[in-house]
Amino acid sequence: MKIDRLLWTGASLLFFAALIWFWQFVSDNRWVSPVFLPGPDRAWNAMMRGLQTGDLGLRWIATIERMIYGWLLASLAGIFLGAVIGSSEMARAYIGPSLELMRPLPASAVVPLAIALLGLSESMVLGVIAFGALWPMLLATVHGFSAVEPRLYEVSRALGLSRSAVIFKISLPSSMPDILAGMRLSLTVALILAVVGEMLASREGLGSHIMLAARAFRSADLFAGVILLGVTGLVSALLLGWFESWMLRWRESR
Amino acid sequence: MNALLRIDPRGLVLPVGLLVLAEVFARATNLQSDALAPPSDIFVSGIAALADGSMLYATWQTLANAGFGLAIGFSIGMALGILMGLFAPLNRLLEVTVEVLRPIPSVALIPIALLVYGFGHRLEFSIVAFATMWPALILTRSAIAGIEPRLIEVSRALQLSLSARIFKIVIPAALPRIFVALRLGVGISLIVAVTVEVTTNPMGVGYKMMEASQALRPGLALAYLVWVGILGWAVNGLMLLIQKHLFGPAANIEARL
Amino acid sequence: MLEKQHAGSPVLHIDRVNLTLGGHEILRDINLSIREGEFVCVVGPSGCGKTTMLRLLAGLYQPTSGDVTYRSTRMTHPRQDIAIVFQDYGKALLPWRTAHGNVSLAFEALNAPREGRDDKIEQLLAKVGLGGQGKKYPNQLSGGMQQRLQIARCLAQTPSVLLMDEPFGALDAMTRQGLQDEILSIVRGTGATAFFVTHDLEEAIYLGDRVIGLLPHPGRVAIEVEVNLPRDRNQLTTREDPEFLRLRRQLFDFIKEAES
Repeated sequence: MKIDRLLWTGASLLFFAALIWFWQFVSDNRWVSPVFLPGPDRAWNAMMRGLQTGDLGLRWIATIERMIYGWLLASLAGIFLGAVIGSSEMARAYIGPSLELMRPLPASAVVPLAIALLGLSESMVLGVIAFGALWPMLLATVHGFSAVEPRLYEVSRALGLSRSAVIFKISLPSSMPDILAGMRLSLTVALILAVVGEMLASREGLGSHIMLAARAFRSADLFAGVILLGVTGLVSALLLGWFESWMLRWRESR
Repeated sequence: MNALLRIDPRGLVLPVGLLVLAEVFARATNLQSDALAPPSDIFVSGIAALADGSMLYATWQTLANAGFGLAIGFSIGMALGILMGLFAPLNRLLEVTVEVLRPIPSVALIPIALLVYGFGHRLEFSIVAFATMWPALILTRSAIAGIEPRLIEVSRALQLSLSARIFKIVIPAALPRIFVALRLGVGISLIVAVTVEVTTNPMGVGYKMMEASQALRPGLALAYLVWVGILGWAVNGLMLLIQKHLFGPAANIEARL
Repeated sequence: MLEKQHAGSPVLHIDRVNLTLGGHEILRDINLSIREGEFVCVVGPSGCGKTTMLRLLAGLYQPTSGDVTYRSTRMTHPRQDIAIVFQDYGKALLPWRTAHGNVSLAFEALNAPREGRDDKIEQLLAKVGLGGQGKKYPNQLSGGMQQRLQIARCLAQTPSVLLMDEPFGALDAMTRQGLQDEILSIVRGTGATAFFVTHDLEEAIYLGDRVIGLLPHPGRVAIEVEVNLPRDRNQLTTREDPEFLRLRRQLFDFIKEAES
């Protein structure tokens, strides 16, 4: 069974490698103009050169930092507000509909307002990331806290748990699956908005890097930036995925 | 879900209260701002933009791009999802490719599309198509995986052809969950379309909003912001209604990516 | 022995209690005294308010009129020395904590010293037959084991009263009988007072010193029988005892009458 699984993963990797090879083949034969599509070799070289000279690396780090700061800010605020709203039926009745109203609003739509308020500044970019990443976090936490098994509250009353113990030992762990799902979603949103913010505010980062590369028809640099963004998305999703399954290990039954 | 049909008056207190407060505050301080405007001003600007047709034309552009991109992206994603759901070897073979390509943030492709297509419709709907393809693929695949195995056995026993199996058994059985994916995709398509307009593409409501903001007309810019919110809310509400109408309460499944 | 000494002063006392919830009269004029160390079982058809009665004794509900007292003080909120075993063990355990962690929750609530806590938890787990299973999560345990775990958590409260709401209702017959004997020996061993809700007449007679029968709409006490069986019960001999059969007949007729 395990060998079977390993073989398939190998085959799957080979398939992906074949796709890359096909991409190389397409660009070598000039089926698509190299102005638009650099081969993987050129994209790779551009990426290596950029990382070695340091510029690209710094931009990459800048983007990652923005994503993480905005996301952490949103997560903390989202969990806190979500816990307050989710654990009170009254708060839910008053605030819930407003949240539902805001939910479908694209976060990028507040960018013009944010620029008008904060200018093309670092705090504008961070603010937009945090604002956009807040919603999935907040809604997930509200849902988690309002869906705690009522029996557990009775158990805590019978055991005589203190108020803070109920929050930290019952409600919070019980909402953890929802909170982690919200964190996963809001990390995706944070990366997207970091790129959007950098593009618009021309802050140093991969977003502005790829935009400038596109305007100057430097397709290899453009693809190098896109690949790094893909890697960022992939690695952050994987890390969070591992964290999630470690946190929720009690769910796997044997 | 039911928030659409039954309105708890307590839910109105906050938004109405904030509106009144904003109006009072703006009037009391005689607000002069490049970013903010009193609600009454936003309302007037919005009505004016609706009346002269500019807002509706921009809305049409955005919705057309979002819709067309969704149609392409969702069809590709759904087709791949069905195939991967039906044929386990294909699913396993594509696993790495899907997992590697899916996390690429859709906005990262804007410059590539810009390079290839320049400004215009194609730039926008290609990004929308990429963004909506993945949820369609993932959710369709899991919808297929969730089909009662007995149904698949029945189709085998009846020796249905592949196309008959797909169109008579698989798609109808997975349809409620695929529709939930479509609802999600509709929301994503609108968000991505507006994002492309805000960042690069000079058309649609996103661009209009950006333009109004840069022209220092905060009333109009905020009117567009509110309008985008209304659009998102209305589109989602419409999809919910259709879902309820088509599948009844049985379709009350939430999509999770 | 204990119940004889304190026969005069009841541990739990329900005095002329009426309860109306959401416009529905749930309980009418309930009077009940439970002696120290007594094992009281409550039976009755569904909707007779037996679970509600348990919740009143637990302090989870307040009566509309009348008094519920514990050692002469009014029950206004749940007490740490009164433990509740819920029927739905799946919902009453913390799925994200191990068996060990679930028992630990009771000690945490009591602010018990950390020192020696682990040993105490191990002892409690061993007592309910979960020795060595401390690292398992609830969803890795069978239904019977989950219920044992809940009982262990209740014992960690060192309760003087154990309230049990159809604790074995969802278990299969074999597991059930085993747990009946264990709960008897545990209750006897700790000298705790027990209030046991069930819909199973035989279970009520087998476990109880006294069986209360309730009737529904509104819930009221309709019959009370003392169980004069030797206190050491045995799944075979007790259930064949003529007195057991007589009581079973008496309660059975009562229920049948109630249903007609």
